[in-house]
Parts: sequence; structure tokens; C-alpha cells
Amino acid sequence: MNHLDNAFLLVGFLEIAMVIFMQWEVYIINIIKTFSISSYLIAILFLVVGFINHENFILILAALTALTRGWFIPFYLRKILRIDKWRARETSPLVGISSSILISLLITVVGYLLYSLTLSNYIKSNLGSIPIALMLQGMFLIISRSSTFTQLIGYLVMENAMYMFGYIFPELPFIVEAGIVLDLLGVVMISGAIIRLREDVVQSGTEDYKELKG
Amino acid sequence: MEYIYLLPIFFSGLGSLLCILPFLKFEEDISVIVAFGALFSSIYILYLPNFTTDFFYIDGLSKIFLVMTSTVYVAAVIFSIYYIEHIQNKLFQSHFYFFLLNTFVLTMLFTVILNNLGVVWVAVEATTVTSALLISTENDEATIEATWRYVIIVSAGLIISLIAIIFIYSSFQTLSFADLLKLYPKLSPSLERITYFGGVLGIIGFGTKAGIFPMHTWLPDAHGKAPSPISAVFSAVLLPVALFAIERILQAIPNDGVKVFAFTLGLLSIALAAFMSFNQVYYKRMFAYSSIDNMGIALIGLSLGGYAFVGSVLIILAHAFAKSATFFLTGNVLINYESWKIDDVKGISKTLPATGYSLFFGSLAVTGTPPFGTFLGELLILIAIFNTYGIVITLLTGFLLAAAFIGINFQTLRMVFSEPILEKRKENLIVIVPIISLLLALSVTFASPFIYNILFNGVWK
Repeated sequence: MNHLDNAFLLVGFLEIAMVIFMQWEVYIINIIKTFSISSYLIAILFLVVGFINHENFILILAALTALTRGWFIPFYLRKILRIDKWRARETSPLVGISSSILISLLITVVGYLLYSLTLSNYIKSNLGSIPIALMLQGMFLIISRSSTFTQLIGYLVMENAMYMFGYIFPELPFIVEAGIVLDLLGVVMISGAIIRLREDVVQSGTEDYKELKG
Repeated sequence: MEYIYLLPIFFSGLGSLLCILPFLKFEEDISVIVAFGALFSSIYILYLPNFTTDFFYIDGLSKIFLVMTSTVYVAAVIFSIYYIEHIQNKLFQSHFYFFLLNTFVLTMLFTVILNNLGVVWVAVEATTVTSALLISTENDEATIEATWRYVIIVSAGLIISLIAIIFIYSSFQTLSFADLLKLYPKLSPSLERITYFGGVLGIIGFGTKAGIFPMHTWLPDAHGKAPSPISAVFSAVLLPVALFAIERILQAIPNDGVKVFAFTLGLLSIALAAFMSFNQVYYKRMFAYSSIDNMGIALIGLSLGGYAFVGSVLIILAHAFAKSATFFLTGNVLINYESWKIDDVKGISKTLPATGYSLFFGSLAVTGTPPFGTFLGELLILIAIFNTYGIVITLLTGFLLAAAFIGINFQTLRMVFSEPILEKRKENLIVIVPIISLLLALSVTFASPFIYNILFNGVWK
């Protein structure tokens, strides 16, 4: 295993630790800050990979990651949060804190097992379990929380996990990567608009919508 | 010459640009003109040969999707002019609604002409961004909740298909669909295994957008709460466009395991729709489950290939016309009865005869009744299932289709032919739009030889 693989492992474990922190954190602002830090970490990893391998394309991706996921998206979410002050703390997560932590740890193990049983024989690198575990964690964040902010962060964690796959597999063509970033920004902007709309009509947690049942 | 192929997206793009300008007050007229422009240019493309460049791949299937999307586009724009007048608490102004509608159609037209699978993913995800706010046009609590569920579930699902794209790219070193078709037979066994996982994840991911089990949960919420013209476009075009992406994956990775997986998810989708159609309280939600039913059987046809593939295309086409008509009609029912509930709607055939009878025929069409195109499509697919999987699976599929048929039509009959609770009302002339759509669903059966020619020879003959 070379130094870059070790760096990837380190960043990967830190990413997983940060998502587990998000699972039990109830203050939305801290979750947004943690997401920002996790995105910067991925940007730094790609920056190092780009420098060492002399790949300008990866350097551009690192810059894009820092700019969009590290700075802009957290900045935008914090701006909305400042307007909707009552959303600062999630009072009614669908899964309790202790159960969330336990399930998160289990998900990490499941991610590793899933990778070992399916892909590890066909992919030379054995690092693939990290993005898979991270992606499952993001999914769990969406399922376990009722706050729109946390669910959106869950989606963004899944997106970051996708980005980490880029280390193991060849980078997608630039037009696709650029399109993914544009879509990501589009989803975040639309989500921001919906969060603002929800402010007017939903005051707390998940309502019991009869029209959305069955 | 090649620019002619881009005319449909040019027209919808032009419509978007002109509608976003608030000082232009003709957004409705502009939208109708550009929608007809997109339709006529799509029909013209049917007569042109297939077209491939590094960026575009336009074959018979793309051409059929262009015509289908443009036809529903025209109907939805015309019906929207009538429908949005009746929305009390509109989220945004009319020009912004038409801007979003034109942009939404633009992204769908764009998706079906692309050569690069990665860009197809980008375009499918872009349909989420452009369509989300349209769901919440009616601006109430449940509508906004439905919009949020749509955005988060579909976006998370599409991340799964992004893994598929990464796996496919790592195996083939290209995402060009034209190249993928040639490269699959040359893959080594280990790479073939990775593409297998790619195929499976692609079906789950894009299946989220197509309303395929198990990631279908957003669909009844969004279809049930969106304005009727938007529900029509969602059901008639957006779901098939996602199936189009799945078909591209199935063509690029003709792996037996991937096909069986697609077949299984299709069958489970039909089973879900069959069971859920019996206990629905809201009529738009019930027709949303009918969309899951149709997408399920269409996915089965795509997984089997050959004449079942033709059957799928017939279902997709006939369903597009019939389901858009059905959703337009439910919009008219909602305006007149002011309730979403099946129990609150009685005797439509006496109160609004044209709407009532059209809704009855629409319901028959979307559940695969002869002589509508959906019936012929289902018949072709059932024959293919029998040839591939034997009598038991064929009977099971037939039973589930029959259950969905009974569940949906029983509820529709209750609404249409029961004792009326309202006096007879004058029908709005707009009801012609769904009636024409239903006639188109009927004509799919008779156009099937031409559709076959377009699919396999690339041109209308």
C-alpha cells in the first residue's frame, strides 16, 4: 500500500467518524460545519493526489470540491438556517441517538462485508469499502432524521462518498464531472427553496399527512 | 443538416427563455407555439435517418421518445392554460410556471438524444431540479412535503445509478453508448462481473426515477399532489425517460443476470401496484399506482428484448397518451367536485358526461384493455414471458395485471356511474384535449407496424 492509499484510508476513516458524529448531533449548525470540514478534507486529498500524480484535471476537481461542497453549500445552508432560527435544533429524530450510533457502527461493518463479498475480488484496490460504508451512512442519515436540513446533508454525504470512489476508479470525463457539480448545486438550491417554503406551512417535525399515505 | 435533430430542444429552450422574461406577457401563447414547434420537428425527424456523433445518438427509440414527449408537451401546455386559472394559492406567477414547464420538457428531450451515458445521468438528474417546484405549484402543506420527498428520494436513488456509471466507465474506459454496444463482447470475465454490478445498480438508481419497486415511494405522493397537467407529464413522459436510461444500460450490458434482476423488479412493481390499487382513497394517487403497474410491465418487456421490447414501447406510448388524458380529466374532476377523494366524487357521467365517459375509457386504456395499445403491448410481453420463464410466471404476471385492472377500474366505475351528487354542468371545451389523447392511445395499436419499422429500421415507412 503506497502513501496515497494510506492518506485515502485516513481521510476515509475521518469521514466515517464525522458522519457518526452527525448521527447523534442535534444542532443543525454543527452538522453543516462537520459536512463542510469533511468536504474540505476530500478536497485536500484530491489536491495531494493531483500534485503527486501531476494531474491538472484532479487539481481542478479538488478546487471545485472545496468551492462548492466545502464553502458555498454550507454557506448557503447556514444562510437559510439564520432565517429559520427555530430549525437550529432537531427535536424529534425518527431514530433515537443511542440507536443511531449503534446502527451507524453496524452500517460500517455491513459496508465492509458487502464490499468484501461482492466487489473486492474484481477490483484490485481494497479501499472500496470506505465509500460504500460512507454512502450507506448518508442513506441512514436521510432515513433516520425528519429535519430537511439533515436529510439534505445525508444526500450530500452520499455525493461525497461518490467522489471518493473517484480515487479507486478512473475519474469520469470532465463534462460528466462538471454536470454532476451543476446538478448538485441545482439540487441544493431547489432544496433551499423548498426548506423556505416549508417554513411557512410546517412548524415542527414530520406531520401526519393523510393525503400522502397508502 | 444535423441541426434539424436539435430542433425539438431548440423550441423548448426558446420557450423557456422567452417565458422567464416577466415583461413579455404572452407566456401561454409562446408555450403553445414552441410546443407545436417541438412536435412538428419531432415528427419530421421520424423521416430522417439515424444520427450519431460523439455527443448525440438518435436511433428509432430516441425518435419515438421525441414524438411522445412533444405530443404530451403540447397537450400539457394547452391544458395548463385552463387548469392554472383555477389554482387558488399559486406558488408563483404564470410566466414562471411556463418557464419551468418548458425547461422540464427541454431536459427530457435532451436526455433521449444523448450518446454519453454519464451525460444521460446528468440530464436525468436535471429533470429533478427543473420539475421539483412544479409539484408544489398549489402551495399547501402536503404538496410541499410531497415535493421534498420527491427531491430527496429521487436524488439519493440517482446517486446509486452514478455508481453504475463509474463501474461502466472503469470497465469500458468510455461512456459513449455507440462504443459500449461494440465493446461488451470483448470484456474480460472480471470486468464483465463489475459491469454486472453496474447494470444492477443502474436499474435500481434509474428505477427510482421510473417509479420501480423498491424506490417508488415518492411517486404516489408527487403524482397525487402535483397539478394535473404536471402529474400528466410526470406519468406520461418522465417515468418513461428514466426507463429509456435503463434500456440504454440493458442494451450496453446484455448480461443475463442483469436482465433477470430487471425482470424481478418489474414483477414486484406490478405486484405492489395490484395490491395498492384496491385500498386507495384518493383518485390521483390510485392512477399513480397504475403508472407503477405500467412501468413495471414495460421494464419486464425491456428485460426480455425482441418482440417484448416492441411490446414495451407500445405500452410506453399508449400509456403516455392515455395516462396524460386520465390526469387531465382528474384535473377537471377536481375543479368541479373540489375534492381529491374517491368517495366524494359520484356520478361524473351524469354531471360531466364527456369527462365521465372519457375517464372511464382512460381507466380502461391504462389498465391494458383491448383495443388500446397497452393491451397489444401486454400481450406481446406475456407471450415472451411464457417463452422465457414458462407457464407459472406467465400466469402470475397475468394474475397481477388482472388484479390491477379490477382494482383501478372498480374504483373508476364507482366515480363515473354512481348516483350523481351534483347537478349536470356545462363541459369546458378543454375536454377535447384528453379525448384526442385517448384517440392517440387507441391509434398506437394500428400504428404498431410503423413503430416496429422505426425501432428496427430507424425510419417511418
